Amino acid sequence: MTTVLPTVPAGDHPPAPSGGRKARSAVRRLTGERAMPYLLLAPAVLVLVAFLGWPAVQVIGISLRRLDLGALVRGEVVWVGLANYREIFADPEFWTITLRTLAFTATCVGGVMSCALLIALLMRHLPSAVRVILQVTLVLAWAMPIIASTTVFQWIFDQQYGILNKTLVKLGFESFAGHSWFGSGVSTLAVISLLIIWQAVPFVTFTLYAGLLTVPKDLYEAAGIDGARPSQVFRAVSWPALRPLITLTTFLSVLWNFKVFAQVWAIREGGPDGESTTLPVLLYLKGIADSRFGVASAVATLMVLLLVVLTARYLQLLLRTREGQA
Amino acid sequence: MRTGPRRILLGTIGLLVAAVFAFPTYWMITSALKPPIEVLSARYDLIPLSVSLDNFATAIAKPGFATYLTNSLIVTLGAVACSLVAGLLAAVPLARLRFRGRKGFVLLVLVAQLAPLEALFIPMYLLMKDLGLLNTLPSLLLVYFATTLPFTIWTLRGFVNGIPVELEEAAMVDGCGRWGAFRRVTLPLLGPGLVATSVFGFITAWNEFLYAFVFMRDSSKYTLPVWLESFQTAFGTDWSGAMAGAVLYSVPALVFFLLVQRKLVSGGTAGAVKG
Repeated sequence: MTTVLPTVPAGDHPPAPSGGRKARSAVRRLTGERAMPYLLLAPAVLVLVAFLGWPAVQVIGISLRRLDLGALVRGEVVWVGLANYREIFADPEFWTITLRTLAFTATCVGGVMSCALLIALLMRHLPSAVRVILQVTLVLAWAMPIIASTTVFQWIFDQQYGILNKTLVKLGFESFAGHSWFGSGVSTLAVISLLIIWQAVPFVTFTLYAGLLTVPKDLYEAAGIDGARPSQVFRAVSWPALRPLITLTTFLSVLWNFKVFAQVWAIREGGPDGESTTLPVLLYLKGIADSRFGVASAVATLMVLLLVVLTARYLQLLLRTREGQA
Repeated sequence: MRTGPRRILLGTIGLLVAAVFAFPTYWMITSALKPPIEVLSARYDLIPLSVSLDNFATAIAKPGFATYLTNSLIVTLGAVACSLVAGLLAAVPLARLRFRGRKGFVLLVLVAQLAPLEALFIPMYLLMKDLGLLNTLPSLLLVYFATTLPFTIWTLRGFVNGIPVELEEAAMVDGCGRWGAFRRVTLPLLGPGLVATSVFGFITAWNEFLYAFVFMRDSSKYTLPVWLESFQTAFGTDWSGAMAGAVLYSVPALVFFLLVQRKLVSGGTAGAVKG
């Protein structure tokens, strides 16, 4: 790289330490400056479009086709219009599962948000030693990988040797000896909700607590001098700081809990008798287990639509502000 | 705060909540340390009577374990490395340059961040089948790369924004080229941001179950979460073995988490909507 290059206006660019670097930057400025952002973005765009954008378009396309293993092997493309959707809508099971999924999501989100809010508020009033202990245990719960914690919960709730049944018997509730927590769908989903709430509370708690820390101390002191009751302090001082964070974390919780698969599947594979099957499990059963890709894609599309409806208000807010910032 | 009894009451409640959150972790570790016979006894055993590391030795010595660990490490670290490189390349122009299509790209990243991946596994499965990658580690690596990329770009963009552009300009005045200024000034300052972001990606990929479960048909291709889930059926009710496996699988995530816990919160909610 010792080529002589067009001179650079002296004021614009002081002498570079080495000719090579100067040459390269000059070349870039002359030819690549305008293209550079696009070149830098290219790998990311490529990956996002190929592995998120294309599948998202595909899922709609496949939902309008009759696609099973046979058709896949023969490479047939059979368009069936909305037949897959009609089939799903005609299945009473689908409506039960949808309602169940909504109730399950609402339970998890409600549980996570109320526990997290209470713990965050409590944290502000704790002696610092207790607060540190609590924070460490929250981080531990948060950090445990999903399948690890699912396995532990199965063991805690084990019918015969689980510590929960043993404890209940010890406390005098003899009828819990050998009680099966996974005997009905409602009970199974209740255990799964507990697991999810236990694991999701830390993130939300830390987020809300961080929000509380941004409130200037004087505001609380002023409220104290004015003789405000705790509920009034909460409404006037804490709530304004927490509100945007509560909106955000509620939105994220809906997003995450609505599509939970790993825990539901790992606990009882949607059983007993499909009573704890949620939409993502149905999607897996139709798609991979039955190889009915068309029907499964219709379920997937409906799931996304439902999720968009559930979060529409917040998505609107989000897109507006982010675009404004950009 | 002011009065003694109130302080003690709140402190007690705090400790109780801490106990509830610590219990599953405690139970996992103590069950892993108990001999299998003790785990499956009717005795009430909240505190372990004897402690042994046999379950860990057994789990590690199981023929599959090393393979599953290697599989998990390959797909996780591979995906994190790829998404750090592609993410940094994208984050810098996003934070530093004005160009046409910038808003569009920001929107793409944002939407990708919210994409319900659980709903996309059918087309992904068919795509990997077409590419001949089904049942291979690269298929998972690609999916995790794509999954972790949006938030990698988003958080790194935030970190780059946090470094004053004047520092780079000063370096350029002192004779560095644009690349030199970036490499000598910005990149070192980005260090903590790169670490925090990569840990975030690591946890996501390390945790992922659905795609690993759907794509990997051969048990020799399993990753740790799939292996752990199959424990129960494969080994009957070997709870002490399963708990030892769970501990081994949790350790990397736990260590990384403790390292960057504070940054995770700020990164996760960066750009929260006000209003």
